[in-house]
Amino acid sequence: MILSILSLLPIAVGLLLMALPHILPEGLSSQVSAITRNICMGVALALLAISTWAAATSLSDIDWMNIDFGGYELENTPFEIIPQIGVSWHVGADALSLPMIWLTALVVPLSMLVEWDAKKGHYFHPLLLVMEGAMIGVFVALDLFVFYVFWEMTLIPMFFLILVWGGEDRRYAAMKFFIYTFTASVVMLIGILVMYFNTGSSISDRSFDMIAMLDSGGQMSEGLRHLVWFLLLIGFATKMPSVPVHTWLPDAHVQAPTAGSMILAGVMLKMGAYGFLRVAVTAFPASTVVFTPLLVFLGMASLAYGAWVCMGQSNLKRMVAYSSVSHMGLIFLGIATMQPLGIAGALFMMFAHGIISPLLFAVAGAFKHHYHTLEIGSMRGIAHHSPWLAGHMMLGWMASLGLPMMAGFVAEVAVLIAFWMTFGWLVLLPALTLVITAVYYLTSMQRTIFESNDPHQGNLPDTLHHEPRDITWHENAGMTILGALTILFGILPFFFWDMMSYWSTEVMVQLLADAMQSEGVRP
Amino acid sequence: MTSELDGIDLQLLLPELVMTLGLAAIIIIPNLGDAKFRIPLTSLRVPVLIGGTRFPATRDPRLPNWMTLATLSAALAASTMALLDPPSSGQVGNALEVDQFSSLLTNLFICVLILCTVSATQRLPSDPDAPAPSEGDDEESESSKTAALYDNRRQADFHILLLTLGLGMSLMAKSTHLFMLFVCLELASLSSYVLVGFHKESKEGGEAGTKYFIVGSVASAIGIYGMSLLYLWSGDLSVSGLSQSWQSMESLDPIAAAGVGMMLVAFGFKVGAAPFHLAIPDAYSGTSSMVAGVLATASKAMGFVALFRLLLTIAMPASGPAFWYGTLAVISVITMTWGNLAALSSDNPKRVFAYSSVAHAGYMLAAVSAIGSGIAEPAAQELIVMAVIFHLCVLVLFKMGPFMVLSSIEREGSSHRVSGLNGLASRDPLVAASMFVFMLSLAGVPPFSGFLSKLLMINGIVTVSAGTGGASTILSWATSVNPVFWLAVAVVLNSALSMFYYLRMGMVMFFEPNEDGESSPCNPVVRALIVSMAILSLAFGIGPPSEWLLGLAEDAAAALLS
Repeated sequence: MILSILSLLPIAVGLLLMALPHILPEGLSSQVSAITRNICMGVALALLAISTWAAATSLSDIDWMNIDFGGYELENTPFEIIPQIGVSWHVGADALSLPMIWLTALVVPLSMLVEWDAKKGHYFHPLLLVMEGAMIGVFVALDLFVFYVFWEMTLIPMFFLILVWGGEDRRYAAMKFFIYTFTASVVMLIGILVMYFNTGSSISDRSFDMIAMLDSGGQMSEGLRHLVWFLLLIGFATKMPSVPVHTWLPDAHVQAPTAGSMILAGVMLKMGAYGFLRVAVTAFPASTVVFTPLLVFLGMASLAYGAWVCMGQSNLKRMVAYSSVSHMGLIFLGIATMQPLGIAGALFMMFAHGIISPLLFAVAGAFKHHYHTLEIGSMRGIAHHSPWLAGHMMLGWMASLGLPMMAGFVAEVAVLIAFWMTFGWLVLLPALTLVITAVYYLTSMQRTIFESNDPHQGNLPDTLHHEPRDITWHENAGMTILGALTILFGILPFFFWDMMSYWSTEVMVQLLADAMQSEGVRP
Repeated sequence: MTSELDGIDLQLLLPELVMTLGLAAIIIIPNLGDAKFRIPLTSLRVPVLIGGTRFPATRDPRLPNWMTLATLSAALAASTMALLDPPSSGQVGNALEVDQFSSLLTNLFICVLILCTVSATQRLPSDPDAPAPSEGDDEESESSKTAALYDNRRQADFHILLLTLGLGMSLMAKSTHLFMLFVCLELASLSSYVLVGFHKESKEGGEAGTKYFIVGSVASAIGIYGMSLLYLWSGDLSVSGLSQSWQSMESLDPIAAAGVGMMLVAFGFKVGAAPFHLAIPDAYSGTSSMVAGVLATASKAMGFVALFRLLLTIAMPASGPAFWYGTLAVISVITMTWGNLAALSSDNPKRVFAYSSVAHAGYMLAAVSAIGSGIAEPAAQELIVMAVIFHLCVLVLFKMGPFMVLSSIEREGSSHRVSGLNGLASRDPLVAASMFVFMLSLAGVPPFSGFLSKLLMINGIVTVSAGTGGASTILSWATSVNPVFWLAVAVVLNSALSMFYYLRMGMVMFFEPNEDGESSPCNPVVRALIVSMAILSLAFGIGPPSEWLLGLAEDAAAALLS
């Protein structure tokens, strides 16, 4: 019930708010438009409160130690919505999805806050609300049809966010974003349909329910299993995104409005990792074991390539976007370790990156907003002119490069230790690559925040007529909350870490260990 | 061979009878009061003894439109009754049968024609240069402008053609005898040729009509020749008789195969399959949008009905693959790819939609050819037929919808450019939003109904083929799986390809400034219809309405295959 509300309410409210100005009479509709953003914020905060409550009760009530495979919390009684093909409305949460639901509920109101003054706000904020509902829908759906519907539905509001509120090249970016991810998803759809085919021997037996779908792997011949795993990987890796299917991300990020980037980096990328763990790894543990070298390769390539390209970027947002690619690589590495610690590290990486990257994009967006440029080096010494902005920028970049006491560090260390346990000295590869992260962040920090007090020593664009000011209160508030949470989860990670680590020990590693045994791979 | 038309038979054919009566009324009533009776579609006038000039009511240019609407609504009610309460025995004579399949299709045809009629209310000027009434006009000047714009005679002709089209199509859905089927198909086709060329004043209109007529009649001639070969082979043209002869045939008889192949050409033209689709983009772009919409939805559905009867009922062997399966599979892949590639490079929205409808025909043909692969069990066959019928039904919403939008912004008989859609979002946000919904639905993006129908078709193909391969590596599985599986991949890749031009249409509406500054007010009724069609596109994509429509399609598929 709670989860149904979390996913459907914001969609309904958002659509209604967008339609109202066209339905209501003139006077009333302008009044509604004027308070649209307040309504949206109210709904988003209510959702945050509900999901915080749900997470908090789960933390205290649920015995995560003894949770079984296929056990979900806050489940509803499934009811069929398209009985002809066995589609039902079935939602639930577990340790994999609960942190993601809370993260979504957190990032969306913050992104609204950061872009509180967006142009055409009576469409902008409702779109963010629709986006929130669709993303939560992805995380709560326990029916693969519904999952796929929500998965694709997230594209539509994001397409409009980029297209209407984006930068110069927004059309190209929006089209590329939509077509790229849509193509990957329809490829994944074939995989889902093959799984669906194997859920029963006759048409009336088949269903899209997650449990049945996850068991379907046992019915397939080995080659088919690998193929389906591969099709799913294409869909999920593109969303994550992993090298070599990452190229939509930098364009989409650079052109998207600040709130769009925050949601894109904070939550949408996690959908890829979430789907990979939820569907591909859980249904086909044996294929995951067999293709571990591929995962290591993809993870390593993303990590190294992303970091390497970052060093050459002069555009602030593009640099942050590639750093996302780089960090997402760590998730693949964490999964590939097949260790409880590594998988828990990957889960925590999803969560930590979900807090840190919105901060980075909020900072980049504010920079663009106040200095009319995203070029690193065209503006120097913002510590002097915009001390708050500079402070948040420092904090975000430090967190992203993995400074201890910040959320990112916990995840990186966990993944690296697990990597060492499995692959031995190969750990030097990712560990040394992480050093590159420090290089590009420190360089840009020096060139942007410090170096000179004269803003015009760089080459600021002519459009900037006024003296640079500091960020507005709502930008500041959003960034402060994100920054505080980054530190909070860096020092006290156990809020979510416990459930993640139990889940990866009890559920994931069990599954993978059985698969390893049947595949004859060294455990 | 003779059968009496008793009371029950008449009730079964109620929708067609209503249409026939309405047809007679539209021929007669606009002439009332006149001393001369005009033969419809001609300038021939036969003197009658009484009368002088026409009454104001019979001269009213809106009269034929209203009469057609009333007729079609009554026919819709009648056929809905038959659909919801199916008759125990639907046999009418030995050539027609009313069952849930034919009732559903009749409903579909009539719905399309109603949509076409409604969007024709403020269209069809006799003089293409006459100004349309605008919002600021007072009542008097509005009615004089309207009268200048419309011409009662021409309106009557247009609607007579629509009704004969409807009559032909709905009888055709009920035919269980190939001869009857062909006659009804031709009745509908001839009406549609004239409708395509209805704007004879414009260059494009005449050219489109002629092209469509020539290609169509050649296709029909080939089809009739094929039918005569079938008659030569079995001596019977009833669908059940032919089906029995086919099942008892020991090896494939070349005459029978040639007959079916030639009929495939005629029906392939109707559905717009490559390489018989070449006249379609010209026809769509030359005619007015609502007629193009009828061609893209009802006429295509009609072609699929004929294909179902021919391929699934007649030319389906008792076991093993049907001989047409490979050909049809190849045709389907060529059709969808050609359609999508051509749509990518078109700048005329009507041509884009024409090619997109070619591509959609390809998707459906792929599903049909999976049935013929010989590895489909009966349940899977029914699943696929259900998927195609469902697709044809929801296609009415999101294919007719864009044509209605185009119809409200275009001038008569003019072909069009994408730039006509420029800035639609600022002129009329609700219509633009609906149009975007139609585009996403056509592309197959969830949660819209286009996704569900496409998913069902792909699922049908996967269901037929996924169980066939069996090997331990990806590569050996890929080589051992039945080739039908790759049809699913082709459909999926083509959907991704089509995304590009659908999004481009959406983009133009939202982000190009409106250059000519001309804004034609959309008729409120048409506008409400467009918006409600967009809402229905969503409703039939997920949730209870889709369950209901799928149930109807399931029953229809069962009735067809029984």
